[in-house]
Amino acid sequence: MAAGSQAAAQPRTVDGTAIDPDAELVVALADDTTNMDPRIGMGSIRSNYIRQVFESLVDVDAQGRPAPGLALAWKPVGELTWEFALRRGVTFHDGEPFNADTVLFNLDRFFRRNLDKWGLKDVLAATQFEKTYPFVSRWERVDDYTVRIHTSEPAPTLWDFIGREPMVPKAYTVKNGVEGLNDRPVGTGPWKMVEWKRKTSMLFERNDAYWGTPPLFRKMRFQTIPEGAARIAALRAGQVGLIEGVPPFHAPALGQDSRLKVASSPQKLSCRLYLNGRPKDKFDSGGKDGLFVDQRVRLALNLAVNRDAIIKKIFNGYALANASPVASVSYGYAAQEPYPYDPARARALLAEAGFRDTNPLTLQLLFPAKHYGQSFDEMTPAVVEMLKDVGVQVTLKPVDFATLLQTGTKGTLPPNGGFTACRTGNNLDADDYLRDWAAIALINWVPYPPELMTLYTATRREVDAQKRLRLLADLQRQVRDWAPVVALYQEVKVYAHSARVLRFTPLPELNMDFRGVAVKK
Amino acid sequence: MRAFLLRRALHAVFVLWGVVTAVFFLVRLTGDPTPFLVDQSATQQEIAEARHQLGLDRALHVQYLEFLGSVPRGDFGTSIREKRPAMQMVLEHLWPATVELAAAALLLSTVLAIPLGVASATHKNGVVDHASRLASLFLQSMPSFWLGLMLILLFAVELGGLLPAFGSGGVRHLILPAITLAAAPLAQNVCLIRSGMLEVLQQDYVRTARAKGLTERLVIYRHALRNAAIPVITVTGLSLGFMLSGAVIIETVFSWPGMGRLIVQAVPGRDFPVIQAGVFVFALIFVGLNLIVDLLYTVVDPRVRLT
Repeated sequence: MAAGSQAAAQPRTVDGTAIDPDAELVVALADDTTNMDPRIGMGSIRSNYIRQVFESLVDVDAQGRPAPGLALAWKPVGELTWEFALRRGVTFHDGEPFNADTVLFNLDRFFRRNLDKWGLKDVLAATQFEKTYPFVSRWERVDDYTVRIHTSEPAPTLWDFIGREPMVPKAYTVKNGVEGLNDRPVGTGPWKMVEWKRKTSMLFERNDAYWGTPPLFRKMRFQTIPEGAARIAALRAGQVGLIEGVPPFHAPALGQDSRLKVASSPQKLSCRLYLNGRPKDKFDSGGKDGLFVDQRVRLALNLAVNRDAIIKKIFNGYALANASPVASVSYGYAAQEPYPYDPARARALLAEAGFRDTNPLTLQLLFPAKHYGQSFDEMTPAVVEMLKDVGVQVTLKPVDFATLLQTGTKGTLPPNGGFTACRTGNNLDADDYLRDWAAIALINWVPYPPELMTLYTATRREVDAQKRLRLLADLQRQVRDWAPVVALYQEVKVYAHSARVLRFTPLPELNMDFRGVAVKK
Repeated sequence: MRAFLLRRALHAVFVLWGVVTAVFFLVRLTGDPTPFLVDQSATQQEIAEARHQLGLDRALHVQYLEFLGSVPRGDFGTSIREKRPAMQMVLEHLWPATVELAAAALLLSTVLAIPLGVASATHKNGVVDHASRLASLFLQSMPSFWLGLMLILLFAVELGGLLPAFGSGGVRHLILPAITLAAAPLAQNVCLIRSGMLEVLQQDYVRTARAKGLTERLVIYRHALRNAAIPVITVTGLSLGFMLSGAVIIETVFSWPGMGRLIVQAVPGRDFPVIQAGVFVFALIFVGLNLIVDLLYTVVDPRVRLT
């Protein structure tokens, strides 16, 4: 009854336009999710599905800033404790209440503690919290709606790496096991999953008991349409209402159609040219240091790339040049002076580093073909030509993404090797990007020198928000000058939708948000 | 016949063992699936832990023997990416989606090919023959993704949504993907029937049949076509195998939830159990179809004896 009365209270118009509260919106996505249990992983495709059903303690607003979600507030209590004040009156789709016990149960799952006690099977998780955040020592319930998390060292980003993890129900998960949770997910989110045809579609129904602004239409179907041209055709035929991943050069034509609208938003997807600057004991080197240990060489390659041309000619304006190592939509981002396009200075720096026409710099560049969308495949060869223009001898080798990952895992990049790839993340804080050079990992091929490591460690220890923002800005400036990678572009994701879809605003996150979105009658 | 079937069954066991063994080792040569399952910032220690959880750090022969022991039970393990039984995933995509699409395309490519091929042969160098050969050339040389997109643009966009642009779930959804999938085999069958008929129509027994006063229709469909059809049966058997095992491009263009795309996605993702289960099912399909084709020969041409 309560749900019914809430649904009845929904508006019939939006901005003076009559809406259809019972409409079904079909959204075409490039792929289906492989899992709905958030613990298994939250990649870019999966996040879109999972975050419709599940919510986190910390939400985001349209600009990507942290906002109250299942937690109303969070604050450090002393140097080694964080306190989360939880939202009251929230229930999961099956009626189970959300409270402190839910959060403690989820923390147990994140850190793989008490799984036997809950009778839960362990899952292979993308982020192994107990290894990535070993300084999180314990958690406690202060009252029904307050939780404290203790750490063994100051952890200023705890609000982010814990706060952004989706919360699953305790009783439901214990009763149905992780398979049940994965197949028939139950969350607190604005949408309930009612049907999942694998590799085909997922049908959602509005959660009429939702605590926040609900979607203003009743049903939503996520339809898998892998081929971009087929997604556009389906939109033009009126058989879907919204599509993602519009190729940049199709956007203007779609925008000219009066029945359609194009929307775009910068993404937390930074595409870079990674260079081997690892010391010889940190990879399978054959006794040689990586050829790009010299900062001048990396800086030279940054100056050799004409980003404006790439963005204009290849991305049709749907990309950003960003000299900061942090995505422009992350918390703590500080804009940095762009790398100028200066081939003469690039040549001079290379000569200074000992690379002249008689002894040219060589680069074996791996390139994950057909993996990233939105013109990445055209971008890499263009960058190669720009590097050749300053005298670098580049060998371009297309590989499949798995081979690239394998190379990163085994550390078998040759000393003069490099690769183009894009970096994304589910977290909001700048640390998500700045930790890339702290420990030897898949994508860390130029580890922080001691002075930058010290500064990075300081950003990980400073709990005072203002002081920490200053440290983050300083670190970004220094990383920009140190140039561990060649910053290429930050993606701007393009969507197109029927003009009947009202108030759709793309997030800078990996997922779409349909709260407050309506469908015209 | 019984001895023939028994021998073929034994052959099938060896073929399937060879296939599963080859695929087991080949997929492991392609690399490690673990990096897909961890964050990009994962350290070596985290990756090693993930490999251990998957059991990929055990000796290869131990993994192989365990795998071989499970295959007769139909247990190909759990998908590394989806955490579901691999064989169940493959069968969910085989039936009904893949079988439906393959059956519809097979029907189109054979039922249409017979009258077109016959008409082409009986009106050699006439208008029908030229039109049929030109159409065959066109259908065979057209890339299926292009044909599919053109059909979508025509029937779903320009004709105001006459047919759905994507998905499965009814006859209307089946039409465009089936036409696209049938296009190339149809053209091939028309050419085969035409050339077979042209050869057969010169044979003495056809002349005899005509001399007996049989109608031309009876001569063509009862005496000539049955003899001309043997190569078509062989090719159709193989075409059906390909339709069942990997109409990947058509599945991608039309968002058809078939088996081909499942397996093709599993390959770059190094989802070993799904690849192994999929290849096993493909092998089973080809072995079964070859047997059916051999049996059909005896039905169409009584001179063929299976020993």
